[in-house]
Amino acid sequence: MKKKSIGTISRRGFIKLAGITCGYAVLGLNVAKEATAATLEFIGIRQASVYNADKNIYKLRKSQDNPMIKKLYSPKDGFLKEGPCSHKSETLLHTHFADRSARLAALKEKGVELSL
Amino acid sequence: MAEKAKSQPAYLTDIQTMVHGEDVSMEGITYKVNAPKDIDPADIFFVQVNQDDCQACGECESYCPTGAIQEVTEDGEHAVIDPVACVNCGQCLANCPFGAIHEEVSFVGELLEKLKDPETIVVSMPAPAVRYALGECFGGSTGTYSGGKMHAALRRLGFDHIWDTEFAADVTIMEEGTELIERVKHGKKPLPQFTSCCPGWVKFAETFYPDLNEHLSTCRSPIGMLGSLAKTYGSQETGVLSKKIYTVSIMPCIAKKFEGLRPELQSSGFKDIDATINTRELAWLIKEAGIDFNALPDEEADPALGMSTGAGTIFGTSGGVMEAALRLAYEELSGEKLADPDIKMVRANNGLKTADIPVPNFGTVKVAVVSGLEQAAELCEQVREGKSPYHFIEVMTCPGGCVNGGGQPLEPGILEASLFKSTIAKINRRFTKRKIA
Repeated sequence: MKKKSIGTISRRGFIKLAGITCGYAVLGLNVAKEATAATLEFIGIRQASVYNADKNIYKLRKSQDNPMIKKLYSPKDGFLKEGPCSHKSETLLHTHFADRSARLAALKEKGVELSL
Repeated sequence: MAEKAKSQPAYLTDIQTMVHGEDVSMEGITYKVNAPKDIDPADIFFVQVNQDDCQACGECESYCPTGAIQEVTEDGEHAVIDPVACVNCGQCLANCPFGAIHEEVSFVGELLEKLKDPETIVVSMPAPAVRYALGECFGGSTGTYSGGKMHAALRRLGFDHIWDTEFAADVTIMEEGTELIERVKHGKKPLPQFTSCCPGWVKFAETFYPDLNEHLSTCRSPIGMLGSLAKTYGSQETGVLSKKIYTVSIMPCIAKKFEGLRPELQSSGFKDIDATINTRELAWLIKEAGIDFNALPDEEADPALGMSTGAGTIFGTSGGVMEAALRLAYEELSGEKLADPDIKMVRANNGLKTADIPVPNFGTVKVAVVSGLEQAAELCEQVREGKSPYHFIEVMTCPGGCVNGGGQPLEPGILEASLFKSTIAKINRRFTKRKIA
């Protein structure tokens, strides 16, 4: 249905492709290369900022040391006094998962190809 | 505590009411004003390509983990073909050089109405990663931590309680860590245990590997936990009736909009999560309200459901959930204090990282951390074949984790490249029109 090769590329598609190719040739591939490098770098910078905050901004670094966690789970009068994975927390904080494969199978049945 | 009658915050008066279906551009991305109700989120698109703007470059396809976005016309224009195949990560949208991909769901219109309504108690629930990118929208350098200013901005916007998903990340560690220890010690459920915080990954697992559902931690994600806690525990702590509370999930993510609409998340007796917006939409709101973000003081969240630790904040990066969980599991399994909370061997920049963690009085905890679903699929295959050596596997859909989520501000590199490419596109378009018309 949507098979396409260079031989059958449409006129409009060809012009688009040609335009982009010329653009790169004229203005240089470097911009695109730099952009790709910058992408990897900027993720790393955000990650480094997270670890910096963990170490230098947050006073406590373990969940179990958070006073509001201690209050929530306080065996005396905490909202979840029976502790993690208790019946109440199962109801409020846990969930179950669906099987969504039937619709995927139906989609593939129609001839749609995915990368997986 | 008495419910306070609130006056409409001055900041909001100038923002116009939005019309359902209207297109609004926020931080370089187009959003449709659309707050779905009573709908199965599996039936709707969260991102889609605007065919008129698509230049058929195929960049989106190279970022799509499932192949859900593909060519649909002879000219090579792309579209998301079916909601079932899309995990809503939005990497296509964040990396489209032509800004041709938009979001189909935005609760901003409804949120503005709720913020203006004195009868509704609106609570904020921002994710960890939001505060490492929000500042970029206001001229801050990449990754600037702006947690304090974010809390202040939410207060100025008229949120009644500044609760924080980082607090719920700490709760998640208590639940998920305990679940892991149960699995390791008693073996009622199979190992390895997969994390279940990332909504793109969870939908992916449910669709492509439903036979491994027992391996997913039954824990909700932090926002799933905070939504239900807000309307039960939060209601109890503040004396506000649950039905008056409107919970707003603020995420670096698009897939969290899907999660917020999951029909099973109603254990508070109401919808646990009323609205989900992302970092770009929050930045837009702050700008529209005329709030001078950089001049704001640093403020804390409201403690009861807002105080958090470093373990909570590192949820926003690949390896962070693992490290946070190990900070608990180490102490629980060994009975000893973990002297140095830095567990650098699980910090992952991209792709897969594995580690053997020696735990005194227990042995070795074997873990894997992965971001990017192609490699997650390889780990799933291993589990399917019964060959997975790990106790605990953390999966995040977006490379590097939530800090690089599909709802985050576009990075300057992409914007520059985008300017370059869109210039070509414009020349191209004029040329095309002249030739064909």
